[in-house]
Amino acid sequence: MSIDATPTRGQPLSGIKVADFSWFGAGPICAENLATFGATVVRVESEAHLDGLRSVGPFPPGKNTYNVSGYFNNYNAGKLDLTLNLNTPLGKRMAEKLIAWSDIFLTNFTPRIIERWGLLYEELVRLRPDIIAVYQPMQGYDGPHKDFMGFGAVLSPITGYNELCGFPERPPMGIGTNYPDYVINPGHTLVAILAALHHRRKTGHGQRIELAQIESSVAPLAPALMDCTVNGRVETRAGNRLPHAAPHGAFRCRDGEWNGQPEDRWCAIAVFDDAQWWGLVAAMGSPAWAKDERFGSHAGRKAHEDEIDAQISGWTAGRPAEEVMALLQSQGVPAGVVQNARDMLQDEHLKARGYYVYLDHPEAGRTAYDGPPFRLSKTPGVLRSPAPLLGEHNELVCREILGMSDEEIAEALIAQALY
Amino acid sequence: MTTCALDDLRILDLAGDIGIYAAKLLADLGADVIRIEPPSGDPARRIGPFYHDDASPERSLSYFHLNTNKRGITLDLTSDDGRALFRRLVATADVVVETFEPGFLDGIGLGYDALTEIRPNLILTSITGFGQDGPHARYRWSDIVGVAMGGMMTLAGDKADPPNMPYGYQGYTGAGIQAAAGTLMAVLQRDNGGGGQHVDVSMQEALSINQETAMQTFDMTGAIRQRTGARGALPIDIAGIGVYDCTDGQVFAYLGTPGGAPWSAMLEWMTDAGKAEDLNDDPYREMIGQLNLRFLTGLAALAADPPKLQAALGTLGHIYDVFSRFCKSQSKWTLYEEGQRRRLMFGVVSTPADLVKNPQLQARAWLHDVHHDELGETLRYAGPPYRLSETPWAIHRRAPLPGEHNIDVYGDELGLSLPDVEALRARGVV
Repeated sequence: MSIDATPTRGQPLSGIKVADFSWFGAGPICAENLATFGATVVRVESEAHLDGLRSVGPFPPGKNTYNVSGYFNNYNAGKLDLTLNLNTPLGKRMAEKLIAWSDIFLTNFTPRIIERWGLLYEELVRLRPDIIAVYQPMQGYDGPHKDFMGFGAVLSPITGYNELCGFPERPPMGIGTNYPDYVINPGHTLVAILAALHHRRKTGHGQRIELAQIESSVAPLAPALMDCTVNGRVETRAGNRLPHAAPHGAFRCRDGEWNGQPEDRWCAIAVFDDAQWWGLVAAMGSPAWAKDERFGSHAGRKAHEDEIDAQISGWTAGRPAEEVMALLQSQGVPAGVVQNARDMLQDEHLKARGYYVYLDHPEAGRTAYDGPPFRLSKTPGVLRSPAPLLGEHNELVCREILGMSDEEIAEALIAQALY
Repeated sequence: MTTCALDDLRILDLAGDIGIYAAKLLADLGADVIRIEPPSGDPARRIGPFYHDDASPERSLSYFHLNTNKRGITLDLTSDDGRALFRRLVATADVVVETFEPGFLDGIGLGYDALTEIRPNLILTSITGFGQDGPHARYRWSDIVGVAMGGMMTLAGDKADPPNMPYGYQGYTGAGIQAAAGTLMAVLQRDNGGGGQHVDVSMQEALSINQETAMQTFDMTGAIRQRTGARGALPIDIAGIGVYDCTDGQVFAYLGTPGGAPWSAMLEWMTDAGKAEDLNDDPYREMIGQLNLRFLTGLAALAADPPKLQAALGTLGHIYDVFSRFCKSQSKWTLYEEGQRRRLMFGVVSTPADLVKNPQLQARAWLHDVHHDELGETLRYAGPPYRLSETPWAIHRRAPLPGEHNIDVYGDELGLSLPDVEALRARGVV
């Protein structure tokens, strides 16, 4: 399976051209979504400064070249790949030609680098007046912290997620990933780009979009901020509980076994109202303890939540998590297995919907990719090709998009502009 | 007069918790979003925190945040009159956002097919826990069910605890963001002349990519990524990585990373401050010279030589203790700002109060003030996720009170007379 520079047909973004000067997570994921819905995306990289994700695993067994990283590949399906060294004058001129071809320019490089390369919006509109130029700096293009370093690992603490997530007696450790990199920031960016495209179709005007990653990450935490600005309360970690639900949390189920080792298994259970409570009681076989009148109202359950949690844990402990979920769901109680990656890939529901997509990559082999994050009934979105090899489409892009002759391409190779 | 990117779109917002953020994102970019609440009360108004802790339906700060720029009407979709009114509204709408159990709207005669008969190019966005089809389509969901079934929760927390739920309804947030994007994707296809369509958002699928490398790790190697607690993947405490106490809170440090200054720059700072203790002597100084992420790989190789490994661990432990004492003597903002000036990666473990006073957010005037006439007060809101130069994000209107725009919408726009609206109100339809 391979792609070329020919526009797609009949997709929401057919004919839209994207110069993807981004790396790591927040930029590439957004550009991948544009490709999935029909845009022609040229991912620009350089061997002089590889995308860090190319050198971070996972890698297929026995392979560890920079073309086979599962981390990188999952965010770059459906793109053409061009290696361009912007620190050479010819590389810079080629970048300008690519931008003149583009409807959308996207970057999450630091403001310092973008200024040095001359890729600010004011410079890009000279190349392409109606361009939608999208910048995803960590802190923003102005302000006292403009040049601060950072990526996901420090973004989560700076933006409040670590302080607010987890159990109060533990340190603010975060949620185990560079969380804002994967949906919050690329997803917000996608919303902004699509709105700007709609506006451009109405008016012919492009614009500059700036998504400061700290601002985008803090925005969904607004209720905690307002609790502070309005009520003066400084919220902190509250574990798995919610004020308006009880019981609410993850309950340990019977251990499973994986590779000959016991594996802890959990089921999330959420009870918001009396009907769900009585559903839970019925699922448990209506034990005598549950009929205690103290537990007959939300207020009562909230007041005795520890006691109820202990009783439920006694019931879940002897059952597989899947059975707990199925029993509770059959009684109308929101419940779900705490699924690990194996569960996700083997999830019968996700399989029935065809969520994960398996693509044949020339070096990595057949591997799983996240499918489109939303489904459109008429134009469902397609991962048209696996992630590109580094520089895989150099010749194609030079010839068909940049209009270069064989001699010019050779010159670019010799000048290490194509690098 | 600035323009708005989406000011030509009218959206009917029937969403529950899982979808309210999607409609907010579109409203804040200029769409005319009409939030439709049941006359019996909108459950979303029962979610805190509340203004001055007054848990009444008109005081939810969460609701204020999630419903900026929307107009609000009440309508009982379970009554024939209510459905008739809804059909008249649909005839004026571009998008309907809904979060009912799959099949519910079909069951009351308001499914995608029925709605597109009224409004051929309509976009229907459905946001649910598990999507519109498949064996779990009718499963009940809540935020924690989404983060559990979507693979996020298993990665969060300490092995000694239950898996952690991320704070702040991140399941709903992720589903909402993907739904807003999916809706706009459908709008662009309609712009192309491709008509309307049904947008199906599953919270479980919307969150899957948040697993970071876990899915690919299992696919490629058969290994299952686990929750790893405060130390992450590190086998021991390493000075300069992780959470440290300060005089006034905590910082997160990630020293020795590519692109930043080496650990020796940290030693220089501690020396300048007179708090390096004996770290300028060997064996500490020598080890600091090599202390980076790659160093840990070398440490693993020492496992074959237990005495040497013990010595190395002792040296590392002492550096960790001295570094921890240094952090403990500084404020978190000093470590963050002075550290960053020295290219040492520190970040404040921000509390909500820290976010409110963050100098960068302040300098960029990120927080937004919104006046509430009915409270006689101006409240400080979170700011925009993005800044669009031509069509800026803006809050033009606070969240609606229940039924606040019934007269505007039913009277002025649908042409009902005041007595008609009053009669509907008396029958509990609006």
